[in-house]
Amino acid sequence: MSDQIIEQAMLRPAPEKGKSLGPLFWTCVGWLALNVLAAIFANVLPLHDPLFGDFNAINAGPSMHHLFGTDDLGRDIFSRVVYGSRISIAVGVGSIVIGFAVGAPLGMLAAYRRGRFDSILTNFMYILLAFPAIVAVIAVLSFWTPRSMFKIIVVIGLASIPIVYRVIRTATLAVASKDYVVAAKVQGATDRRIMMKELLPNIAPIGISFVLIGIATVVTLEGALAFLGLSVNPPTPSWGNMINEARTVLGQNNGLVFFPSLFLCLFLLCLNFIGDRLRSHYDVTEVKL
Amino acid sequence: MSADQLLVVEDLSTTFATPRGPLPAVGNVSFTLDKNETLGIVGESGSGKTVLARTIMGLQPRMNVTVTGSALLNGRQMVGASEEEKRSVWGTEVAMVFQDPMTSLNPVMRIGKQIDETLRVRLGMDNRAARDRAIELLEMVGIPSPAHRYRAFPGQLSGGMRQRVVIATALACSPQLLMADEPTTGLDVTIQAQILNLLDDLKERLHMSVVLITHDLGVVATRTSRIVVMYAGRIVEIGSTRDVFHHHRMPYTRALLESSPKVTSPSHTRLTTIPGRPPNLMELPAGCSFAPRCAHATARCASERPELVAADNPGHAYACWNPLPVRRHQHLEAS
Repeated sequence: MSDQIIEQAMLRPAPEKGKSLGPLFWTCVGWLALNVLAAIFANVLPLHDPLFGDFNAINAGPSMHHLFGTDDLGRDIFSRVVYGSRISIAVGVGSIVIGFAVGAPLGMLAAYRRGRFDSILTNFMYILLAFPAIVAVIAVLSFWTPRSMFKIIVVIGLASIPIVYRVIRTATLAVASKDYVVAAKVQGATDRRIMMKELLPNIAPIGISFVLIGIATVVTLEGALAFLGLSVNPPTPSWGNMINEARTVLGQNNGLVFFPSLFLCLFLLCLNFIGDRLRSHYDVTEVKL
Repeated sequence: MSADQLLVVEDLSTTFATPRGPLPAVGNVSFTLDKNETLGIVGESGSGKTVLARTIMGLQPRMNVTVTGSALLNGRQMVGASEEEKRSVWGTEVAMVFQDPMTSLNPVMRIGKQIDETLRVRLGMDNRAARDRAIELLEMVGIPSPAHRYRAFPGQLSGGMRQRVVIATALACSPQLLMADEPTTGLDVTIQAQILNLLDDLKERLHMSVVLITHDLGVVATRTSRIVVMYAGRIVEIGSTRDVFHHHRMPYTRALLESSPKVTSPSHTRLTTIPGRPPNLMELPAGCSFAPRCAHATARCASERPELVAADNPGHAYACWNPLPVRRHQHLEAS
């Protein structure tokens, strides 16, 4: 009898059941979904033309007609923020996808196989890492004109490969030397199976955290490039180049710097919060009491 | 090689190449293991026990290691075997239980799946059959309510339970030889006995041979038929458990035995320790490796390495220039 009670008590707190992710988590997911949907459907939404200057309302404050007000050329800030998210989100996600598509498999393979393949590749990546990525990105983008979103994604994506490689390789190294990997090996598992079933699930939490941090970093990097005038050409808006342009009218028009910064900030905060919450929620390595 | 010999190790040496020179971790080891036999390998930390076991398994690192000699498992050469050959033997003919159950299970995979995996891949079972067999195995190793536990993650089990799961995983494909590398070192003393009894029991039921590696003589005393004593990568004494415990000739074996507590000695008796430290394998003395720590050492011990010589009883051999006298009635009971 008491055995049964203990048994049931012990089996109940299965980490993946029962506990909800919490309202804040779903708020963040909702906000991100809203951002992404708005970015995708910006041209079918009832928005002002982000490039149209209404010279009757320059540097206007928020009103019913212009929700966030207008900028120094009379363009609607709300619509520019929504259109700007297209560039920012696409650059953030796109370049991290490139970085992971190349860097992560190489990192895992190098850490698992070791030997000459690993030492050559790792040294090569470390040489690349020795150059400050931002300087390289600036240099390439300065000469590769005309600049487009696609080119920016490719350049930042390539620059992120060595960083992703290093993180994933280190994470894999830590896992690959564990006894359970050797145990799987001596049960006759193939290398492919070991990589997919033993290594990948164990480095996934680190990988996902790094994806989220990476997206946040790239969105700000795009902002920094825009600040230097090296991102997409104006008048196409992005969060970064809006903040850049707002610099010149900072005293007269606070909304112009405030709203894109707010959206950038919330986007990054939500990403990080979701990543953190997911990691702790699906962590089965610790018993939660 | 006779029909009932499962494992024949001959003149096996493993040398690691390090930046500071070669490191002979295992030197000229030879022994045999019969079917349904339990062999104990004992020695201090760093005496080469684990490297020996891994060499026999064919689990050396890919680089910087030289293995010479031969290890025949069921007549199949494990030294220099290709990855494919080894993979076909691993799991089905030889399996391994590791020292620390905390790290030998994948923390993000349900324990049932970890057993399943092997069954499906190696024996080609379908999902249902594999699941049923996995639950059967969990029951066999004494996991209560195995059907529920099948879905548990390793983090939800205690150390002893995890080691049982590790054993169940190792036994999934009914290996003929089980290598247990210090299977109880990471566990509480009370659990140690349970796990060892379980191994013993399974060995009888499944007609396996077991190689039990340990630094604890108490572990091997009642559960092995023969014992190999290793020091600095070499066998210094080998023989039946009875011979090693009661008629040992090598001073190192005696020192090991005297350094473990005995129930018969009065309380507060100071344990005898072995002075000094295990030698640095990179700077082994020319003679007997144990000579610097040995009370019986002579000039010859320092200059000339003793080889294994046969003692009175069959199968008993020791490597020593000044062996201890044969004592007929020695009362060193196993603790």
